[in-house]
Amino acid sequence: MTTTTTALAQPASPLKRITRVTKLHFANPWTTLGLPWIILGVIFAGSLTIWWLIYSALSPEQREGALEGTEFGGSSFFIFIYMMVVAIQAISITFPFALGYGVTRRDYYLGSALAFIALAVIYTTGLTVLGAIEKATNGWGMGGTMFAPIYFGESAPERIFVTFVLFLFFLFFGSAIAAVWVRWKATGVTMFFIIVGALLVGLIALTTFTDSWAAVGSTLVDLGVLGVAAWSLVLTAISGFAGFVLLRRATPRNAA
Amino acid sequence: MDDSRPIFAQVAENIENDIISGALPEEGQAPSINEFAAFYRINPATALKGVNVLVDAGILYKKRGIGMFVAAGAQEQLKGARRDSFSSEYVRPLLAEAEKLGIDSAQLTQMIAKEANNS
Amino acid sequence: MTPTIEVTNLSKHFGKVNAVNDVSFTVEENKIYGLLGRNGAGKTTLMQLLTGQEFASSGTISLFGQPPVENAKVLQNTCFIKESQRYPEDFRPKDVFKTAPWFFANWDQEFADRLIADFRLPLDRRIKKLSRGQLSSIGVIVGLASRAPLTFFDEPYLGLDAVARQIFYDRLLEDYATHPRTVILSTHLIDEVSNLLEHVLVIDDGKLLINEDAETLRNRATNVVGMKTAVEAFIGNREVLHRDGIGGLSSVTVAGLSESERRDAHAAGLELSPVSLQQLIIELTRTETKEFEASA
Repeated sequence: MTTTTTALAQPASPLKRITRVTKLHFANPWTTLGLPWIILGVIFAGSLTIWWLIYSALSPEQREGALEGTEFGGSSFFIFIYMMVVAIQAISITFPFALGYGVTRRDYYLGSALAFIALAVIYTTGLTVLGAIEKATNGWGMGGTMFAPIYFGESAPERIFVTFVLFLFFLFFGSAIAAVWVRWKATGVTMFFIIVGALLVGLIALTTFTDSWAAVGSTLVDLGVLGVAAWSLVLTAISGFAGFVLLRRATPRNAA
Repeated sequence: MDDSRPIFAQVAENIENDIISGALPEEGQAPSINEFAAFYRINPATALKGVNVLVDAGILYKKRGIGMFVAAGAQEQLKGARRDSFSSEYVRPLLAEAEKLGIDSAQLTQMIAKEANNS
Repeated sequence: MTPTIEVTNLSKHFGKVNAVNDVSFTVEENKIYGLLGRNGAGKTTLMQLLTGQEFASSGTISLFGQPPVENAKVLQNTCFIKESQRYPEDFRPKDVFKTAPWFFANWDQEFADRLIADFRLPLDRRIKKLSRGQLSSIGVIVGLASRAPLTFFDEPYLGLDAVARQIFYDRLLEDYATHPRTVILSTHLIDEVSNLLEHVLVIDDGKLLINEDAETLRNRATNVVGMKTAVEAFIGNREVLHRDGIGGLSSVTVAGLSESERRDAHAAGLELSPVSLQQLIIELTRTETKEFEASA
């Protein structure tokens, strides 16, 4: 019988080490790609039904512009929040799994970040295509709006930018929450939201006491959708960096 | 395998038994260390130690790259060694037990003769 | 040659709890080690430290000559299978076996397939619908088929029945024989694994209590049984690990005896019986037998 001493593996290249973590997030695409589109599809089907009910109850003259209000609808907003949940789930579950496979925290985080950017690209593409169809068919033939609401910008390039940046924000904000969860479990996440809440209340109070609401309002108007979206990149970067720093010192523990 | 003696010694003894019984013929190839380890469910290092006892005693010899073989004359050598220790291993404990029970040597001889006839 | 693992004065405190307390030892290449001890003795923490999953409070660890923490070069040669290893919820066993080879350079798919058949593991069922034993078998299969040069099994067989555990032991020995590697097996089922081990580390209350060749350890203690007076006369000032008695009979566990001492004991009408590794460790860790059994 031949005996071969198990040789030490040739060090894999950093890129390979990172991309295999990225692939890990898509190994079973149900959570990251399957379920979100199915839910979105169900919401879309529901909206179409409602629109059709309204549309068919109206006389042809009344139909014009009847669904204009849906421009302000937020039914596709769910997908952004859901991406935050996806990020939290993905990290909290694959982190201990990947470390058992000998992955470093650094490679794990970078690979996950790459997976999140890929998700943002995929979902932005999806929403853009659906938004374009929506515009081209005059709101699915009924003037309804779901995929290209007014907040996403007016032109296609604007919508692409805003959608992409928003996806990034929610995914990386989610990864920061996940890192807090991995390190300090429920107590940590509770503290995290208390701190975030306190910061928000503080900002609101500051604005109110300094009587600056008008200034804030005009600044937002001046910035426009694009400007606000661009500024969210700062928050995204902070979240991403915080997630990295927190996870670098995290220890996978059994559910506690 | 029991715990009363070192496992490697038990492995060696089992191989000896197979050689004495002829299950492992002289000049025949002995199982490999890994086969012994798997058979007795022991660490290969322990099996190796047991086999080395027999290699050192000249019972087994290694052929480079092929494996281990039973040496010529191994069976007789082992039988001789077992005969030498037969008295201390079997006869003395027998006498000790007989004495405890009040069986004298004449009775004992009679018992042995009877058993030998029966079998 | 550099030892596979070298640990010097390693400690890990959680607040005031010393989970691992000033531990030093080395692990040699291509041996099967048993890391034994009671639940909560610090076995898991020690393995987490060795694989860079936990950060040491003090002391040093070297794996293949380098510190393991965040060291991809070292860590990609390790595989750590935990007692309650978690898997992504939507994964099916086949997803685990699809992803594992990405991370283990020595992965053997044929061997994995054989183990899957041995353990009768359903490949298409979702992880959350698997039984405890089936979950454990996934870990065992990954740990074996990965053929990582340094493999850690931390109580890998929760929920596995005796037959499945025997399959694990047999496959481990078989594959280890043809692909020698360093294995660290943590368990409280000491009797079941004692013959597989080449070296034993016993940890108790965070401290390293025993670091010894398994063969030496197995011959370390003997039970002496007989009339109380004869037993007492025989043991004299010897160190007694355990003492038991009923009526005029006495049973005492003492450290290993030489051949001549054994003859003396026989001459004195005393009976000698072996002490299993498990029994020995129980007595050395001053643990009640039933506690060990309760956790088994």
